[in-house]
Amino acid sequence: MTRRVPFYLLLALALAYSAGPFLWQAITSLKPEAELASLPPLLPLRPTVSHYVTVFTRYPFFRIISNSAVVAASTTALSLAVGSLCAFGLSKLRVFRKRLILALVLSVSMFPPIATVSPLFIVIRALGLRDTLFALIVIYTTFSLPLSIWALTNFFDSVPDEIFRAARIDGCGPFQSFYRIMLPLSAPALFSTAILVFIFSWNEFLFALTFTSTAASRTIPVAIALFPGLHEIPWGDIAAASVTVTAPLVMLVIAFQRRIVEGLTSGAVKG
Amino acid sequence: MTGGEKGNRFVLPAMALLSLVTFYPVVYVVYLSLQRRLVIFDIAEFVGVDNYLFLIQDARFWNALKNTAYFTVLSVSLELLLGLGIALLLNRSFRFRGLARAVVLVPWAIPTVVSAKMWEWMYNPDYGILNYLLGAKINWLGDPFTAIHAAVLMDVWKTVPFAVILLTAGLQIIPQEIMRAARIDGASPCQAFRRITLPLLAPVILVVLIFRTLDAFRVFDSIYVLTGGGPANTTETLSIYAYRVLFQTLQFGYGSALSVVVFLCTGSMSLLYIKMLTRGGR
Amino acid sequence: MKQKCMVIALVSLALLFHSCAPREDAERGMVRVVFKHGMISGDYDEMQAILKGFERENPGITVKDEILPASTDEQHQFYVTNLEGESADFDVLGMDVIWVPEFARAGWLRDIGHLLSEKEKEDIFPGPLEAVTYKGRVWAVPWYIDAGVLYYRKDLLEKHRAAPPETWAELCGTAARIMAREKGMYGFIWQGKQYEGLVCNALEYFWGNGGGLLDGGKVVIDCPENAEALRFMRDLIVLYRVSPPLVTTVMEEPSRLLFGSGKAVFMRNWPYAWNIFQRPDSAVRGKVGVAKLPSFKKGMSASALGGWQIGVNRYAKCPLEAEKFVRYLTSPPVQKDLALALGYRPTRRSLYRDRDLVAAQPFTAGLYEVFMRARPRPVTPYYMMLTQVMQPEFSAAVNGIKSPEEALRSARLQMEHIMGAGR
Repeated sequence: MTRRVPFYLLLALALAYSAGPFLWQAITSLKPEAELASLPPLLPLRPTVSHYVTVFTRYPFFRIISNSAVVAASTTALSLAVGSLCAFGLSKLRVFRKRLILALVLSVSMFPPIATVSPLFIVIRALGLRDTLFALIVIYTTFSLPLSIWALTNFFDSVPDEIFRAARIDGCGPFQSFYRIMLPLSAPALFSTAILVFIFSWNEFLFALTFTSTAASRTIPVAIALFPGLHEIPWGDIAAASVTVTAPLVMLVIAFQRRIVEGLTSGAVKG
Repeated sequence: MTGGEKGNRFVLPAMALLSLVTFYPVVYVVYLSLQRRLVIFDIAEFVGVDNYLFLIQDARFWNALKNTAYFTVLSVSLELLLGLGIALLLNRSFRFRGLARAVVLVPWAIPTVVSAKMWEWMYNPDYGILNYLLGAKINWLGDPFTAIHAAVLMDVWKTVPFAVILLTAGLQIIPQEIMRAARIDGASPCQAFRRITLPLLAPVILVVLIFRTLDAFRVFDSIYVLTGGGPANTTETLSIYAYRVLFQTLQFGYGSALSVVVFLCTGSMSLLYIKMLTRGGR
Repeated sequence: MKQKCMVIALVSLALLFHSCAPREDAERGMVRVVFKHGMISGDYDEMQAILKGFERENPGITVKDEILPASTDEQHQFYVTNLEGESADFDVLGMDVIWVPEFARAGWLRDIGHLLSEKEKEDIFPGPLEAVTYKGRVWAVPWYIDAGVLYYRKDLLEKHRAAPPETWAELCGTAARIMAREKGMYGFIWQGKQYEGLVCNALEYFWGNGGGLLDGGKVVIDCPENAEALRFMRDLIVLYRVSPPLVTTVMEEPSRLLFGSGKAVFMRNWPYAWNIFQRPDSAVRGKVGVAKLPSFKKGMSASALGGWQIGVNRYAKCPLEAEKFVRYLTSPPVQKDLALALGYRPTRRSLYRDRDLVAAQPFTAGLYEVFMRARPRPVTPYYMMLTQVMQPEFSAAVNGIKSPEEALRSARLQMEHIMGAGR
């Protein structure tokens, strides 16, 4: 037991480092306006939930969260579907110029987004997708593909080729070996990539600002950017909103983690 | 590679989507970078590489390049080290591991613009929590030395989860049998880490390095919100400079040239990583 | 696993189509004016009521307002992306005071000078009128006005028998005196982060010392008056020690928070802070006074002009209806409503004698003198380029990284280069 003390100490440190600023944000969200800029005291003298009330009553926040959820979920599904297919092809099948393809894919995330936003805007408008969630989904899927493809290709590479050779001898087509063998085997990788892609699209700001213009398609970061007035920044409201949108993500991760990762890895090791 | 079946069908959808959406923007940016285009004055003329020639003598560009490079090297290496450490911690089994893994994710889940404002708040010398906890009176964002490191600290905090998530998945995929066999052969944990874990993890580390470098080198909104590039441009990165040239002063040609340079830098760094790790790691 | 994936995919697709369903379009036979503007703080219903008022007065026209983040950077970027793409997605737009010549020169605005008669022009404050006039033509109508003012702690000044300072020297003296007797107080808070606000702050010192940026088309930024003023800004921190070093990292809000929690004697800020200080839970409620900014010699006080202007998109689908809407939104009764309901400061001088307004918003009415003296930043399409050069140089000077002379000379060289480039 004593041998584990340093371990727990380090763990506590890591957790405090990760969660500390967020906890501070949560505390701030409970402070009344007048206490925001006074320190000490650390904790609010007169805690209040008024910032949370404002977030939900003054802004169509449910609508906004559901917009973000739709965009992030669809992006994740699409990006993983397209990305894992591509990764499987690159990793386990014969593809012409594999390295060149990987490099090309990567090049998509080498330009600063601010440089491509204007021409992309013209593309989106030409396609008649302005102010739709679909525009965001298409763009986010595209820009998350490099990560999906690279991460998954690497993970797929670590699955032994023998399994697929054996499967082929058993008469398994490439597509079957993809979803019958590869997908279940790499559940942790899929899950990790999914989290990264989901959160990327949950938080993206620049494209969301440029391609949307009404509450019908507004996502969370743009909605939060709308909180401030010309000079005044309602920091308590922003803190409350950021806590509100972060908490469900954390719960989602906890829930998914238990069901998918831990369940499937134990199965995968046997396979 | 198994060879055998062709995989073109598998790769096609991704390539189609990528080229459909990004072909025009990428070509357009390169095209603009060869133009002298001042939107305000209705000037649009082909000037060849003039923008690039100007860039070579532009002190503000070199300053931004230096800041960006420093920021990237420092924050990516810290992120990788911390990320690896935390991933190893989380790979051991303990109660509430699922919860701990989720908590580590928190910084990544906060919208960048909010987290930058949050750090600006925490760095405030008067009512910021950092000085309060340290009992200091540091003017974090007012001094060139502390300002750039304050930006690094914020970025590391925000993006360590990215490394942790990928590395944790990488660790999970390493078969337990190999580790067990190593232990039976009498390898110390340190040896096992260096001889087995690290080489097996190398591809994942490569992915983390590449994507973190790409993102750090293109860093924009977090630093822009935190310091505005100040004091005196000591935290102005290439993307911030490009943003100013493009959207604040509307010099589309020169701004695009700056963006192409960012592209070239990130591209060559990625190639370097791939070369390095494919030679050493596999 | 597979089934689960399918379910997720289907659900998201269903949601997708739901959200892509055609949105209700403008009612048949109605013209729809799309009004794009930054977030309005305060009660949003009041703004809606004002828009409804227009629809009532103009049957056949509906207004759809589309809100942008209040951050001026984000708005500027949005407009540039759209207008450069010749977008007709919006008809009427709100603009920061420094964009009008730029947008006009780029050909993105409709000349709407005919909306203002000569008599009306005379009624508008000179600063904003100058800011919307480029090459002798009027490209936007001033909507509301902003200008830098000096906030001071009335209670502390009374306690220590000091009058609101008229010169910077007086401000330093009073601040130092009060700081010596009241523990833990900051003397004077202003905005010194590297951003547009720093340029506004600096210009107020320059103008208050007889300096300036441009003289006709000539760059005169490195004149001795400016150098003296810039050195004084640095000296506030290191010599007189009335401003804490943190002023070089803050924008409006952090300074407002410090002053609002009772930690500072003086603050330079925009009028918006006043209403916040008067809220019931404010620590400085009833203890705050406002004066025009000090200057180096008496009577030379000048404020940087802020505020927003309304213009019409050159590519607008319904320009005539859009003009009608601009006319409505900037008309005296609507400006009065905005002032009464949301505290927005009218751009029409006659409203400052309006009995209702004087009774309900004595603070606003009292700013008349300040607004008369508010000066626009140079009205030139180059301004956005010039400010990108000035911001880092001023930041270097107030942070002590460069001497004021060095910073101004470097700024002049770069500014001359820019002014020469556009021809």
